[in-house]
Amino acid sequence: MHIPACLEHNRRVLRAEHLSKRFGTVQAVSDLSLDVHPGEILGVLGPNGAGKTTTLRMLAGILTPTSGRVSIDGFDLTRNPLHAKRRIGFLSGDTQLYQRLTPREMLAYFGRLYSLDEARLSRRIDELISQLDMREFASRPCATLSSGQKQRANIARAFLHDPDVLILDEPTAALDVITGQFIVESIRRERAAGRAILFSTHIMGEAEYLCDRIVLLHRGRAIDTGALPDLLARSGCANLTDTFLRHVARRETE
Amino acid sequence: MRIRIIWTIFRKEIVETLRDRRTLLMMVGLPVLLYPMMIICVSWFQRSQTEKREERASEVAVWGEEAPQIVDWLGGAGKLTLKRWAAAPSQVQAMLRDPAIRPARAVQEPEEALGSSRRTAATEAENPVLAAARAAISEHTVDAVLITWPGLMRSIGDDGLGSITVYYDSVQPDSVLARDRLVETLGRYRATLVQLRERSHSLAPGFAVALDVLQRNVASEQRRGGELLGMLLPFILIVMSLLGGLYPAIDLTAGEKERGTMQTLMCAPVSPQEIIVGKFLTVWAIALITALVNVISLAATLARLLPGTNLHLPLASYLATFGMLVPVTLIISALFLAVAAFARDFKDGQNFLTPVYMVLAMPAVATMLPGVQLTTTTAFLPVVNIALLIKSVMLSEAAPDLVFLALLSSLTYSGLALVLAARVFQQEQVLLGGQQSIVDLLGLRRRAGRTAGPGVAIVSFAIVLVVVFYGSLLLQRAGIVAMVLVTEYAFFLLPTLAIVFWLGYPARETLALRVPPLRALIGSVLVGVSAWTVAAGVLIRLLPPPESLVRALERILLLDGKSPSLWIVWLIVGVTPAICEELFFRGFVLSGLRRLGILPALLVSALLFGLAHSSIYRLLPTAFLGVLFGYAVWRTGSVACGITAHALNNGLMATMVLAPSSFQWLGMGKGPFLPWTPTAFGAGVAIVGLLLIRSVPQFNHARAGSDQETSPVPAG
Repeated sequence: MHIPACLEHNRRVLRAEHLSKRFGTVQAVSDLSLDVHPGEILGVLGPNGAGKTTTLRMLAGILTPTSGRVSIDGFDLTRNPLHAKRRIGFLSGDTQLYQRLTPREMLAYFGRLYSLDEARLSRRIDELISQLDMREFASRPCATLSSGQKQRANIARAFLHDPDVLILDEPTAALDVITGQFIVESIRRERAAGRAILFSTHIMGEAEYLCDRIVLLHRGRAIDTGALPDLLARSGCANLTDTFLRHVARRETE
Repeated sequence: MRIRIIWTIFRKEIVETLRDRRTLLMMVGLPVLLYPMMIICVSWFQRSQTEKREERASEVAVWGEEAPQIVDWLGGAGKLTLKRWAAAPSQVQAMLRDPAIRPARAVQEPEEALGSSRRTAATEAENPVLAAARAAISEHTVDAVLITWPGLMRSIGDDGLGSITVYYDSVQPDSVLARDRLVETLGRYRATLVQLRERSHSLAPGFAVALDVLQRNVASEQRRGGELLGMLLPFILIVMSLLGGLYPAIDLTAGEKERGTMQTLMCAPVSPQEIIVGKFLTVWAIALITALVNVISLAATLARLLPGTNLHLPLASYLATFGMLVPVTLIISALFLAVAAFARDFKDGQNFLTPVYMVLAMPAVATMLPGVQLTTTTAFLPVVNIALLIKSVMLSEAAPDLVFLALLSSLTYSGLALVLAARVFQQEQVLLGGQQSIVDLLGLRRRAGRTAGPGVAIVSFAIVLVVVFYGSLLLQRAGIVAMVLVTEYAFFLLPTLAIVFWLGYPARETLALRVPPLRALIGSVLVGVSAWTVAAGVLIRLLPPPESLVRALERILLLDGKSPSLWIVWLIVGVTPAICEELFFRGFVLSGLRRLGILPALLVSALLFGLAHSSIYRLLPTAFLGVLFGYAVWRTGSVACGITAHALNNGLMATMVLAPSSFQWLGMGKGPFLPWTPTAFGAGVAIVGLLLIRSVPQFNHARAGSDQETSPVPAG
């Protein structure tokens, strides 16, 4: 079990306090609080409709919480969105690319939006293209890329500005095993580099393999939080899948 | 908003859009091909049809009395083949051989001289001859039917009046040509007959004609060309500009949602305002480029393909036409973006924008309707005003005041459309494909305790301007008193109070409802009685108003010349506008703009005050007064200073119009401007008034009205 050294310092890069989000009459997320530390992967697990995507969108600054607050490296995401967002890299499994731009052009575009200077941006793009093995397709229009190639380009975009926090919403969804594995290893590398990572998935194996701590979400509420052994011990189950199913079943009967 | 980020978004969107073949086709391909193809095809088709028709001899059935002289005359003219009794039913033949039969009377006889070749519009009641002629022409047996009525030759021989009827079908070009050939040839025959009669009776040449009416067209070649171009081109140019902006607007909003890139953009450190401005500039640029390519293609086509015709305009007209398309493309781009942002995907976007496209394009047809011209009414109709303005530019008859009104209203609508687009882009739910209530979208939730911001102030002005304009048009027949009172109370004061109370703004802070210091009030009195001299002595020299406008203003000041007593005039044109307009402009608008800093706030509120008077000639004088009234209110925090000065200014003007000798006394009898001496004296009094106002301590707005809205476009 990987134990992040930074936990000892208890520095929280991402902090969400009492987050709630309501869409009309639907309460998507209720009173959710969580922290992510540098060099830590926090997994967010839940069935469909549990509020995972809404939570991650609030944490990435795409949605404004109805109540509660999010801070990134001490910057309040609502009051100081530009400073906070500069420290976030967001990646979703269903995010597409600009069809008529090449990955290289797309990276240059986002680099400028993140106010990276041109020399640094150029170096960083070359570095990511090499690191993520994108040379073959970096100058082809995104419309011509395969799903795996698109997701690599998306990862490059999310990592481009060296964010302190990575928010990954089912990044391996709909990918083949090889590309999925490539992404999982990339995430591990980023953790080793000291980034705080929030990771949502419904693939239990991935969660067991990657996550230092896990939040189980159900109907917009956190029903259990902790390191994997603690969750297993509390539920009395042998694996995460059984733990998850037991929790969900218990909540459904309540 | 950071210009660098907006530029980055704009550059990326332009690159991506220009790589879209559909946009390129609409922007460049279609205009480059459309005009040459349209003109080549239409002129080729028209020419080949005309040539074919001209070559062919018209076939004419001749029914009725034998008239060998006329038949020979017609036959000798060429291109007329005469067929005796062709397609004539036996019953009709029998009827026409009856010496008693006479031509049927026309149902609507045009008031034209007997024998005139223009007696063509008449129709007659149904009768067997008409029915037979109609059948012969509509079955294409002949092109026209000529009836020589019994007694024709005898009447001609006796120096009497003979009758001939030409039946033709105005819908068939061949039949119309046959009619023209018959009428022209018979006209020449008639002229020969008249000459013979004059000679045989020893009458002077022209005795029977008496008056030769000559018609001469005063329209220059350019105007005649401009009339044709002015009917068609505004519609085509507006429709093409609309098409140019359509696809980019959908692609940049609904397309981005469909691809899922919108949320990627939203999590980047960019504000919604930067995103909307970048995207808006892209759509506007594409629509403008489309408009420019259209104008260039059109000019090149007319110059290269139709040399020698009168369809040519000077370069200045083309430049002005392009200039006129700028405000239209502004409205289109903002509206398209705002609406397309609600669509979930590209297909949805097309469904949303097609009705908007139709609604925007159809009004441009106005230029093709006879009699529809740019007037004070049409100048406020969005899109129609620009279409008519382009037409009047092509006819070289655009009046400055109407150009001003059309551009002012277009910019107002553009501003409203842009604010709507900006609001839509602030709604995260809409951008992510969800729903949003209209109350949230329009920012109509109550903002208890806060004063209005610049966005609310400017949007309110735009709405009030449109309401005042159309409202006063509706009231035109109600008389000036009703018009002034309803305009001021219902269109200025009521919306002001409604906005303040509905949105929960503190009335005292927003409308500057305070008792002013006495010194400042005296200063305002001095400004009120003297500031007009600077307007009348200096400002109107820069752009002198036409006589018609001066008379119209005098009519208003005199309440339509009904000799009312002075106190009624003061109440209606002095006090009423002072209260209503000051509460809006120096109360609501000025307090809303204060966040911009005092100088911009004063200048912008004064400019809006000037614009609200809907005349380019009144813009400068009223804006000048607006600055002075605004300064008094800002310095004292009391709208009472503005009301006092405004009421005195208007009342004094009305008093002077009621007593014309006052103009003589001031030396204005010889010209429209106030002479320099009273101007200088008046300016001196105004300066003393302003110094008195300045001598009171500055009112602390920051302390009184804290917590202003922080966003130019208020959050919901």
